[in-house]
Amino acid sequence: MPRRPRIALLATEVRKYSHGQHFIDRFLEGYGWHGRHHYPPFELAGLYVDQFNEGDLSRDRASRHHVKIYPTIEKALTLGRSKLAVDGVLIIAEHGFYPRAEKGQTRYPRYEFFQRTVKVFEASGRAVPVFNDKHLSTDWSECVAMVRAARRLGFPFLAGSSLPVTWRIPSVEIPLGASLEESVCVCYGGIDAYDIHGLETAQCMSERRAGGEVGVKSARAVRGNAVWQVLERRETTQRLFHAAVARSFTCRGPSNYPSALPDLEWLKKNHRNPVAYFFEHLDGFRTSLFLLNGIVSDFNYAGLVHGSGEILSCQMYLPMPPVLSTLADFFNPLVNHIERMVLENAAPYPIERTLLTSGMVIFALESLYRGQVLVETPELNVAYRAPGQSTFWNA
Amino acid sequence: MRAIRKIAFLLDEFASPSPGQQLLDRFLIGYPRDGALHTLEDAAVSAYLAVSAESTFGMREEEFDLEVAPTAERAVAGAGAVVVVSRRPGAVANEAFLRIALEQAPEGAACFVHGVLANSLASARHFAAKAASRRIALLAGTPLCVTWRLPPVDLTPGTPLTEALIVVQVNPVAIQATPPSPPATLGGAELQALDGLLPVLERRRGGESGIRSVRFLEGKGLWRAGEKGQWSWPLLAAALSRSHTPQGDAVLDGRTQDLAGLGLVPKLARGPRGWLLEHCEGLRTAILVLDGVVADFNFAVRAQSGEVLSAQLFRAPTPAEHHFSRLVAVMEEFFRGASPPWPVQRNILIAGLLEKFHKPSSISGLRLETPELNIAYSV
Repeated sequence: MPRRPRIALLATEVRKYSHGQHFIDRFLEGYGWHGRHHYPPFELAGLYVDQFNEGDLSRDRASRHHVKIYPTIEKALTLGRSKLAVDGVLIIAEHGFYPRAEKGQTRYPRYEFFQRTVKVFEASGRAVPVFNDKHLSTDWSECVAMVRAARRLGFPFLAGSSLPVTWRIPSVEIPLGASLEESVCVCYGGIDAYDIHGLETAQCMSERRAGGEVGVKSARAVRGNAVWQVLERRETTQRLFHAAVARSFTCRGPSNYPSALPDLEWLKKNHRNPVAYFFEHLDGFRTSLFLLNGIVSDFNYAGLVHGSGEILSCQMYLPMPPVLSTLADFFNPLVNHIERMVLENAAPYPIERTLLTSGMVIFALESLYRGQVLVETPELNVAYRAPGQSTFWNA
Repeated sequence: MRAIRKIAFLLDEFASPSPGQQLLDRFLIGYPRDGALHTLEDAAVSAYLAVSAESTFGMREEEFDLEVAPTAERAVAGAGAVVVVSRRPGAVANEAFLRIALEQAPEGAACFVHGVLANSLASARHFAAKAASRRIALLAGTPLCVTWRLPPVDLTPGTPLTEALIVVQVNPVAIQATPPSPPATLGGAELQALDGLLPVLERRRGGESGIRSVRFLEGKGLWRAGEKGQWSWPLLAAALSRSHTPQGDAVLDGRTQDLAGLGLVPKLARGPRGWLLEHCEGLRTAILVLDGVVADFNFAVRAQSGEVLSAQLFRAPTPAEHHFSRLVAVMEEFFRGASPPWPVQRNILIAGLLEKFHKPSSISGLRLETPELNIAYSV
């Protein structure tokens, strides 16, 4: 019997509902997929865990499933031998205790894990597909270095959020080559944590526009009342903002009327700490992100089609535990894409998406740090084409 | 499309949230529809609320011009549309309200009952006939019959089906701190199951043919019937694979588990019960009420070709419960004179089945012939 392909997973920590747990359990226990319980045809052969914090589950999983936890990344990738011994690598460096950078980012060791992985590839004379959970790094030069290393060694590199691949309600897609003018995401969460999810929500739609993605020219992030002031001046963004809010299932508007939607006047009076990022792309396209903690707790998208004025909108639905679910099943399609990447030796969508969204987060935070000023972003001259096929969960 | 002018609500209760509140607020204040806030500009809303000390319309009279009627008759007078909402979960109809609606509403009006149409097959038939005699369009339903499905599938019209199964719960809450209390109203879960599944089944080849027999099973008897193939374990596995809320170890530590494949379903189920329905043309349907296994509603059907179609019937989170927005959009079109989105025969069949489920003779494990449920219809 041919051996199953082996994967190594490098995690910062593994506790209930940490990203490490979500990925590890799907490879070990399977998950619901296309109307059956699917067991990935892989052996989780090597595990590296950076921190064993309170509530650690990695040792329980290792013991029950006979998976070895290695003391170093290198040993996890070589399975204790001298050369690379796995067919795919997952870097799940989210959660755990890591230092905060000056601009508010948590310095999760994604870049370090990746670099050490690349060194093993180089020493082994062989490279295998790599998945990196969420954004690439908190430093732009590190993000670029990661993508360059993947190109140099020729291995498929996939990264990003689960938002682009989760359920959409309604189940809509931007037609490839559509004449899209602007994308808006209204969501929630903190900077350098959920902003990347919101930007990936928008970007997986925006990249399908005519001409494809051409890169981002400038970024500006604002807080508090300035958010509403900018929104008031931008009629199209305002239309898209309300369209996105209308897709939310969790929007908390005027009290006592749970199904009512808030208007701008109500928001100005009642929501004093919003954060928004505004981006202009090199072709004039615009992306706006609104983090409205306390108003919505889901991810909602609206895009404007140029000319017709048609708005295409949906919620990218996360069945988020513990309120809406007991499992974070939005990881199912992401894990399935990783499986396909390793089996087919090709990433299902371009790493440039996450290179760009990583940069958008970095420069938005730079804008906040510098006093909410407009920041020119010649570095984000990242052009790429979206895949022809939709990659979100709809079957 | 006609103007509605006046919508009358006849409500048993107005707690928040409750079906009465969810439906009335959307007609009164508006609701998100197709990515925008949609409001009814052409309809006044009146409401009669049955005596209930804890209920209140709050500020709705002042802020949104809700007309609070002193009697059900006054609420209905002159209304182009009437909405009847009985107490949660709608499995027991307020027939007095429906009678008033059908007698007092103007000819040509439309009437929608949230939940079950009536408490017996005879009543349901009587009300349908009464409505027809006064040219009142009559329908019943819950959000389950129109909600989003994950994935967004539907049965291709005319597909021959051999087996169907739906999993529901009495208390579908993702994380349950304590075991749920016994059902206050037997039939709530079963109503949801029928209202969620029949819209799929009635698209099969020949349409709905009616129900030839029903059989109630509970506890070990339910599992034994599954082992004997009287309902389909593979379909249960397919339905469970669509769930976002597996219980057991998933609650403990977030673990994904193959509940059916690992034999965990009987261990997790609290007070399991089920109904096996034999349709007149041979289709077999199983309704499984499985608290403690999952906490969402999922179905699977098998076509004659062997292909299995499965999905979750999506219920949006509280307090907004936007599956009610889907229902209100359908109700609004119905009130505006669009062709009925489903035949009232579906609602008559559900009323007849729930009546059968309530009867003590059903609690026997015996197969009961149901010639009276030979209610065929197609969509």
